[in-house]
Amino acid sequence: MLGLLALAFVTFVCFRFQVNSTTVALLYLIVIGLVSLQGNFVPSAIVSLIAYISLDFFFTTPLFTVAMNQALDFVAPITYVTTAFVITRLISNVRKSNEERRRTEETLRKSQAELAHVTRVMTMGEMAASIAHEINQPLAAVVNNAGACVRWLNADSPNLNEAREAAQRIIRDGNRASEVIKRIRAFLRKSDTEKIELDLNKTIQEIVSLMQKEAQSHNVTLRTDFDVDLPVVRGDRVQLQQVILNLVMNGIEAMTTVTNRPRELLIGARASETDKVLVYVRDVGIGIGHQNGDSIFDPFFTTKPNGMGMGLAISRSIVEDHGGQLWAEPNKEFGTTFQFTILKY
Amino acid sequence: MREPEAMVFVVDDDEYVRESLVSLIRSIGLGVSTFASAKEFLESSRTNVPSCLVLDVKLPGLSGLELQQRLAEINVEIPIVFISGHGDIPMSVRAMKAGAVEFLTKPFSDQDLLDAISLALERDRVARVQQAAVSDLLRRYETLTPREREVMHLVVSGLLNKQVAARLRTSEITVKVHRGQVMQKMHAGSLADLVRMSERLGALLTDKA
Repeated sequence: MLGLLALAFVTFVCFRFQVNSTTVALLYLIVIGLVSLQGNFVPSAIVSLIAYISLDFFFTTPLFTVAMNQALDFVAPITYVTTAFVITRLISNVRKSNEERRRTEETLRKSQAELAHVTRVMTMGEMAASIAHEINQPLAAVVNNAGACVRWLNADSPNLNEAREAAQRIIRDGNRASEVIKRIRAFLRKSDTEKIELDLNKTIQEIVSLMQKEAQSHNVTLRTDFDVDLPVVRGDRVQLQQVILNLVMNGIEAMTTVTNRPRELLIGARASETDKVLVYVRDVGIGIGHQNGDSIFDPFFTTKPNGMGMGLAISRSIVEDHGGQLWAEPNKEFGTTFQFTILKY
Repeated sequence: MREPEAMVFVVDDDEYVRESLVSLIRSIGLGVSTFASAKEFLESSRTNVPSCLVLDVKLPGLSGLELQQRLAEINVEIPIVFISGHGDIPMSVRAMKAGAVEFLTKPFSDQDLLDAISLALERDRVARVQQAAVSDLLRRYETLTPREREVMHLVVSGLLNKQVAARLRTSEITVKVHRGQVMQKMHAGSLADLVRMSERLGALLTDKA
């Protein structure tokens, strides 16, 4: 449509100023070229046809007739159509390959999310015993409190206060159990990445609380150290929790053979540079051997007998997807500090 | 509040579980005192009433099973009811072999726990009575002079006064006097009584040696 208007405009102006036919033919060619950038051959062909007719009609002698009696009358239509054809073909090719690339990227992103999800499920599987314990504990409390409640009520002189308090504890502990389940479900949910404004402190606490028992069963004390005025960050909650989970599990694993010092794992976060937050996980384990170096971040690299070797690789790709970096540094005395940066919101 | 006639000590690291157990145990009129770790329990002082220990297997630091072992080492005899989040068989076997009263898996029924606690307290009561009798016996034995002890040993081994006198190179009448003293000091009504006491003492004394 726009092409036809442009054509009419060129025709009108040139006709008014008596521009010679060759110039007009070239101007028409430009219009056709521009129209062809749309990538559709049919409109380009129509414009080419109309351009040829108006060239013949208004500018080549004899004026106001459509007849092939000059070289230009032959060359112009061929040139127009060829140009239209070549340009539209090229453009549609470019479009197709763009589309393909977009689709590949989409597939890649999807399979990365899929993989991340699978490893989340696997890690949770490894923690199943401690998670079961985490749910069982409040359930045990509920059963005890219910028993106590009934007994207080059944006494010869029922003690309503005690019974009421027991009932209130039942509510609280029931909620505590469902809280654990809610957190696990949120963590295992299969969802697209969603980068939102995040309170990093809360995000990390949520996952750390799920891991307390796991740490305890390996005699590891988990400590956290967050800056009070930690800026909010921009990120996907579940994915960042996954990174923390991986790093903490690795830290715990690195300390299983340690017997001569307290097994302590410190998880901290503080503002770094002007636009970033630094999160670190410090263990006092056996450390990473020199020979391993940066290859610990390679996919399928593992030192664990049952490891899949995906934890750190996925963690690194998640962090990089968040515009940050993940790296490891040996501590002065014992163990390793894994740390990553993430952009402020 | 009157002094409860029995005390239950609860060691569990989960605050909410502790709270629930306190209420449950108090609801049947028993005294209860809680600890978050084995260390806390070891550092506490306990009143001298029948008591038992409700002990979580998994504890930070010293585990429940280790605490059981530790208590045996320092000669603290207190019946133990184990409670555990995940009862695995080797664990419970180990606990029961070391003398635990019961091994319950959380969540357990309140009745099961209270039954186990009653049983444990009953065991402790019996043990306390026995212990009291034994220490009484020992106290009485300690009032005997060395000569009286010699006489006692020979008498219970079945010798007649005359034979004892010959063995100790003394007169029969002296032996008679010593023997009378022994019977009186040991509160023995008959020779058979004295023999039984001597047997128990014998077991205790060889234990000590």
